[in-house]
Amino acid sequence: MAKGIPYNIALKHYRPQADRPMPRMEFGEELLHKYHPDYIRENCIDLTVGVNAGDPCHRQLAEVLQGDSRIDEADLAGSPEIETDVLVIGGGGAGCAAALEASLAGAKVILATKLRLGDSNTVMAEGGIQASVEKDDTPQKHYEDTLKGAHGELDRKLAAQMVMDGPEVIRWLIQQGMQFELDQYGDLMTRRAGGTSAPRVLYFRDYTGLEMMRVLREAVSNSNIEVLDYSPAVELLSDDSGHCAGAIFSSLKDYKYILVKARSVIVATGGIGRMHLNGFPTSNHFGATGDGLVLAYRLGAHLRDLDIFQYHPSGLAYPPHLAGTLITEGVRSAGAYLLNAGGERFIDELKPRDYVASAIIRECAEGRGVYAGDGKCGIWLDTPSIELREPGIIEKRFPKLLHLGTKCGIDPRKQPMLIYPTLHYQNGGVIIDQDGASSVPGLFCAGEVCGGVHGRNRLMGNSLLDIIAFGRRAGVAAAKRAHGFGRGPKKITIEHLRNFRRELMLANMPLTRKSPLLFPVYAKFDDDTDYDGLRKKLKIGLSNDQD
Amino acid sequence: MSIDSENLISLRINGKDISAPKSHSVIQALWYAGYPRVKGVGCLQGVCGSCRVLVRRAGSTKVTTELGCELLIEEGMDVHFLIYPTPPHQSYQLEDIRSSWEVQAKFHEIFPEAEQCRHCAGCTTTCPKGIDVERGVELASKGRFSEAGELFVECVMCNLCQTACPEMIAPNHVALFSRRVTAYFHIRPSNLINRLEIMRKGGLKVIE
Repeated sequence: MAKGIPYNIALKHYRPQADRPMPRMEFGEELLHKYHPDYIRENCIDLTVGVNAGDPCHRQLAEVLQGDSRIDEADLAGSPEIETDVLVIGGGGAGCAAALEASLAGAKVILATKLRLGDSNTVMAEGGIQASVEKDDTPQKHYEDTLKGAHGELDRKLAAQMVMDGPEVIRWLIQQGMQFELDQYGDLMTRRAGGTSAPRVLYFRDYTGLEMMRVLREAVSNSNIEVLDYSPAVELLSDDSGHCAGAIFSSLKDYKYILVKARSVIVATGGIGRMHLNGFPTSNHFGATGDGLVLAYRLGAHLRDLDIFQYHPSGLAYPPHLAGTLITEGVRSAGAYLLNAGGERFIDELKPRDYVASAIIRECAEGRGVYAGDGKCGIWLDTPSIELREPGIIEKRFPKLLHLGTKCGIDPRKQPMLIYPTLHYQNGGVIIDQDGASSVPGLFCAGEVCGGVHGRNRLMGNSLLDIIAFGRRAGVAAAKRAHGFGRGPKKITIEHLRNFRRELMLANMPLTRKSPLLFPVYAKFDDDTDYDGLRKKLKIGLSNDQD
Repeated sequence: MSIDSENLISLRINGKDISAPKSHSVIQALWYAGYPRVKGVGCLQGVCGSCRVLVRRAGSTKVTTELGCELLIEEGMDVHFLIYPTPPHQSYQLEDIRSSWEVQAKFHEIFPEAEQCRHCAGCTTTCPKGIDVERGVELASKGRFSEAGELFVECVMCNLCQTACPEMIAPNHVALFSRRVTAYFHIRPSNLINRLEIMRKGGLKVIE
């Protein structure tokens, strides 16, 4: 399958060199069409069920969107019920920001998370966060870069809102206790990102997301927000008007279902990396299995861009036990080259991610990659070049890279790292307005689960900004809606599942595939006897019901 | 993919005898051998502190603490997962500290046990990131919050140090407090403040 120069031979021929000429290579959209995994058309189908019927969708994502619920009414008999004003599903950056703002606005808040508070992609997003603070930069430039990176296909109102929120988001994070790199005068330091016209990425070493998440986690656990950990959401609840009215969680601690009735619900469940679309490794957290998309879709929320994903150029390709691990784009923005097996640069390393990833795939497909064994190829991330130009920079600015090197048995100051694109980000998702409101009343969404903010391709540093900007907005709006909520009796059920199931049957879709996934297939959650209480023992049509 | 049986490594994880290829991490080995594992799995990149394991290597009596996603399996290794970290027992709001002059006094109210450190080095020994944890606690107790926080740049909040402390100090939370007060009281970037001021006056609007 994959060809290339064997790892040891390529490494023997590698020579550290401070400067190498920029490749003279013209390319355009055809690079994407030929090599970007989004364009593998046989992996894309049209949805047949739900509000997005007829829209293109990745085949693997379609399987879960058009899957059947893990539960029905009988499973819920005797389950404990709790009530709250605002329910936040997801304990990453967006969920924590939303919960903190909703709580500050006076709402009673419950935050439920699949594993522990803070288990998310946020903690791994180390490159930085964009905000226009430099004197030569403006929100307008930030907006235009975002639009260009997105190939124009984004929701302009959302993008404009996000860039305008940028500086205030940074102030808010500092007031939560988050540190940033500062220069000798105490000003925020900035660096460039792929596809930006000005240095705009604010950062903390190569641990920006870790620093952000540990601070937000601490802020949430020191607040009056109630946290339900080890509690993946399996379904949303609806009222008799079809509005969102809470959610059902499966507790991994006592193996029971819990019903949380809420006046507003904020879904902040993140992305889909652990579905390993197109067979790619992923940089994503273990829990990133697209659950929020499935739950929102069943309740009738409109989604968009379900066939567009981001492959981050620099996922580790060797050694195998760490394959897919992310190396921050910050390393390239500090000037590290990408080199093929012949030691040549082949693209401007600071082009937007979709182009850079496609160029790496091209080099490997055409035999100019480095063969790492087991059918896997990669190209060099030339870290020694930045060390040659600025001795000490790796230790000072990239401690995580150094730590990763130790785990690989490689010193990135002396030896290049082998990389290959890794599935990184879900560009599409739930359609929202500037307050995070979806098309279903009562259902708000924030962060990676949403679509439209980044169009076809997100820029580095715009995700950490997105989650805080829209997480906060959703928190405020959800608290406001809860405050004005009528107290009248409402019937809260999972009636919407019945309608969705009917649609599946009418479309001749199999009811055997259960979703949301909750965990990647290889974790074997559905074989784990510990969780039998959370699983239906009956197959469709066969009744050995326990009640 | 075919794997020669000679390349398989035998070890014991959570009391189960397992064989897996040598390039596998502890978590991958468990999955490879067909055992489900959900709890105690997180980022799989060494930054979330979820997959804490106790490890004893063949022929050694020493038990170490490591992260299961980063730890490569070895012949004869004995591994146990430590799920459900100790919940934090302190509670504070940064807004309740009125000025930076008050930080040290507030610190001792919030973390009264920090001064009881016995210097047993248990915390430092358990740290999977090699942080000088005990030194951090000592610096924070003396009010040197900026320095204390600086030692904990790589802390992933795995809580192993807290588990190891006989005085029930939560060193990672001590350090995070130190880092947070440093930002909250001392980070005042003029480039950011200037930008916020211009925008507050209605400048720099975006034209869509």
